[in-house]
Amino acid sequence: MAGMTDERNLTLLSQEGDSFQVPVSIARMSELVKTMVDDDDDADDDEMQEVPLPNVKSSVLSKVIDFAKHHAVEPMSEIDKPLKSANMSEVVQTWYSEFVDVDQELLFELILAANYMDIKPLLDLTCATVASMIKGKTPEEIRKTFNIVNDFTPEEEAQVREENKWCEEA
Amino acid sequence: MSANPNVIDFDEGWTENIKQKALDVLEKHLNEGVDKIKGRLFEHKTYIDTYTICYNMCTQRTPYNHSEKLYEKHSETIKLYLQKHVLPALKDKQDVFLLKELQTRWHHHTIMNKWMREFFMYLDRYFVKHHNLKPLSTAGLTHFKTLVYDECKTEVADAMLVIVDKEREGNAIDRTLMKQIIGVFETMGLGGTGEADANGGHAKDALGAYNSDLEEPLLVSTRNFYGRRREEWIAVDSTPDYLVKAEKALDQEKERIGAYFNLNSESKVLKVCEEELLENCQTTLLEKEGSGCKVLLANDKTEDLERMFKLFNRLDNGLNPMAQILKEYIEGVGQGHIGQREAKIKAAEAEGKKEKGDDPDFVKALLATHAKYVDLIKAHLSNHPLFQQALKDAFASIMNNDVGNTTNAELISTYCDRLLKAGGEKLSEAEIEQNLDSIVELFTYLRDKDYFGEVFRNQLAKRLLNQKSASDDLEKSMISKLKAQVGSQFTSKMEGMMNDLSTADEHDKGFKDFQKLPHEEGKCPLDTSVQVLTTGNWPTYQKPEILLPKAMQPAVDQFARYFKVGQEQRRLTWFYSLGTVKIKATFFGKEKKSYDLEVATLQGAALLAFGEGEELTFTELSQRLDLKTDYLKPVMHSLCCGKYKVIAKNPANNKVKETDKFTPNAKFKNNNKRVKIPMASLDSNVNTKKVEEDRTVNIDAALVRIMKSRKTLGHQALVSEVLEQMILFKPQARDIKKRIESLLEREYLERSEDGNNMYNYLA
Repeated sequence: MAGMTDERNLTLLSQEGDSFQVPVSIARMSELVKTMVDDDDDADDDEMQEVPLPNVKSSVLSKVIDFAKHHAVEPMSEIDKPLKSANMSEVVQTWYSEFVDVDQELLFELILAANYMDIKPLLDLTCATVASMIKGKTPEEIRKTFNIVNDFTPEEEAQVREENKWCEEA
Repeated sequence: MSANPNVIDFDEGWTENIKQKALDVLEKHLNEGVDKIKGRLFEHKTYIDTYTICYNMCTQRTPYNHSEKLYEKHSETIKLYLQKHVLPALKDKQDVFLLKELQTRWHHHTIMNKWMREFFMYLDRYFVKHHNLKPLSTAGLTHFKTLVYDECKTEVADAMLVIVDKEREGNAIDRTLMKQIIGVFETMGLGGTGEADANGGHAKDALGAYNSDLEEPLLVSTRNFYGRRREEWIAVDSTPDYLVKAEKALDQEKERIGAYFNLNSESKVLKVCEEELLENCQTTLLEKEGSGCKVLLANDKTEDLERMFKLFNRLDNGLNPMAQILKEYIEGVGQGHIGQREAKIKAAEAEGKKEKGDDPDFVKALLATHAKYVDLIKAHLSNHPLFQQALKDAFASIMNNDVGNTTNAELISTYCDRLLKAGGEKLSEAEIEQNLDSIVELFTYLRDKDYFGEVFRNQLAKRLLNQKSASDDLEKSMISKLKAQVGSQFTSKMEGMMNDLSTADEHDKGFKDFQKLPHEEGKCPLDTSVQVLTTGNWPTYQKPEILLPKAMQPAVDQFARYFKVGQEQRRLTWFYSLGTVKIKATFFGKEKKSYDLEVATLQGAALLAFGEGEELTFTELSQRLDLKTDYLKPVMHSLCCGKYKVIAKNPANNKVKETDKFTPNAKFKNNNKRVKIPMASLDSNVNTKKVEEDRTVNIDAALVRIMKSRKTLGHQALVSEVLEQMILFKPQARDIKKRIESLLEREYLERSEDGNNMYNYLA
């Protein structure tokens, strides 16, 4: 029976209502999906289950599914903290570093989706990627990277610098 | 309505969505019969919508983050439901109905708690962790515990215990219901102290609630129940009947715990049962009139004894009283045998008869008793060391209780003699082996094993010299059994004796060849065979000097010449008291008749001293034979006063006096041509003096051995070490002291100058 269960597919519905058919075993990487599917073990009707995910857009969901499928074949290695390098290819396997080589907007949406669907490895990977973008950069460079407007007054900024001097020395 | 259209405010999210669309529906399901619904309570869509709203409300930036409020709402919802619906439902219920209601309500709570956790799942991930709160599911259980469980646990436990007692009385009960309610008690420990267990196992006091709220009352009610049972049963039942019931009760309790209680309770419940059913009435059961342990032993109730053993074996030190009874009982049986023997001796005395030197019936009775209880202990009492010890103690006391003039050591040795003697006991070789094994077991109980050794060696010598031994193999086997028990020192002389015999054939052949040598040919007309014995191996025998008849002397001389060849240093001494001769005797009575007389050498010499029809006085005979009066008397007694009167005595009575006159009995007549005329042995069976001497030597040797290795030792320590080394007999402390004094005198030891009671070894 357990083997059979893994063969089954279910349908994930994106925010836009697009259907994605995924093997149950892959979809269960999401703790959220797992919670719903596990419940159903005895109500084993042949009808394919539909799981709506209103917080996840199609473009993001398809990336999430790619991730889950690949993870089933080549599990992602644990990410060491603090980050070894600002270069993600030195932090995780090539496939995963290429996976997060995307524009910032998609990266942030992946973080939100990973959090919403509760997929720990994906959340680790995407958060580590953001961290790698900060690593080794000056505040000005960071502001530039993330397009942040400096809303400190010069006095405030001086004070923050003073308070965090130890940090720069380290 | 919030300023930002994408932001959900609390009322909108909680009241309009989560509560109305999910939680109210959940309550409705629970109240209207959740069991009627097949499949999921909520569609995936409903669930996801609720989860998503909750997720969004928790991920909005402050001041729009509603995590804390939602966590409170989660608890409040559960609490309200328990107060509004569950408590009133339980309130007026009792007994089984209370349990059934609780079963249903607990089931509902499990469902509610599960859905509540799943709806609010996002809270568990960050908010609960960061604020060190109870995880949702634990929180839900805690509310159930404080609001419901704590309210009704006493009544519920009471109701359950009543049901357990009902089952104990033989009524059928709803075990599934019991098992499920026990599940509630087990869960109400809330996984023990601190967090719910991470590794799947129970935390330290995970069963805390179960233990205090259910198990403790269970132990009390169990104690009460079986306390009453004990009183009822013991009043009417025999011990075996009682034990059958107790065994059954214990089995049932074990089964019951396995069926629906927590397995941790098993040992505790059983212990209470054991205390009430067994420990509290152990003495009564063991000593019950007409059916106690002794009675069971007396009637060979092996099955009941086995049950008794198994049950009392469950108690700490529970077997001691039984072992004590067994010991006393076996001792009693042994005393019975001893009593019978005493009676036999007295009866013989009353008839003026002398006490017999053997008593095979007594030994057989001892062997049978020993075998019986060895078997009983092995087959039914698990060969438990306590019972083995009881048997040992009993037999040590029996075997060392000597009555009459013959010691038990002598009796068992004499019984061995019967077994090993040709024509003694009619048994197969295997049976004899078995008997010998048992004899050796009895032997090990003897305090004075050296005494047995001395008797046994004498009897062995007699068997060997008189060619009475049934089988060399059996003799050797017996010796090796003794050796295995007490060591080679004990048996070295016996082995030497066996060895002397095995060289006999060699001597026979050598002597025959010697006789055929040209210068020896024809010098000895008699067919002669000589048994050469090594001095020291054999018992000391009387050595009467006698003038051998002319016919015999050449044979002795010739053997002496043979023996001297190549071994001049060895001295040959002749013991005429041990040999035998065959004499062809012709009696000239009414009709002339010849017989073959088989007699001892001394008897033969005496017979040959008479000329035809010659009458000799005792003194003349003594002079003619050059034999001392003390030796001649038993010789003549055997020839004149025994069954075969080949010599006539004047006066004709049963006592030989120095004034008597003797003449060959011409009227002697017998149906058989072959006549064997026995003669009383010149040697008494055992030389107790020899045993005493050996003991002295043994103690001396042990003392010197110990002191040589220790150099300096205190008096007490020395005495106890000697006692430890003496396995063949138990010397008295004062005997050892005497030997120490003797060694001091002979300067093997000296008193130490500094310590009062210390000795030094002098090399």
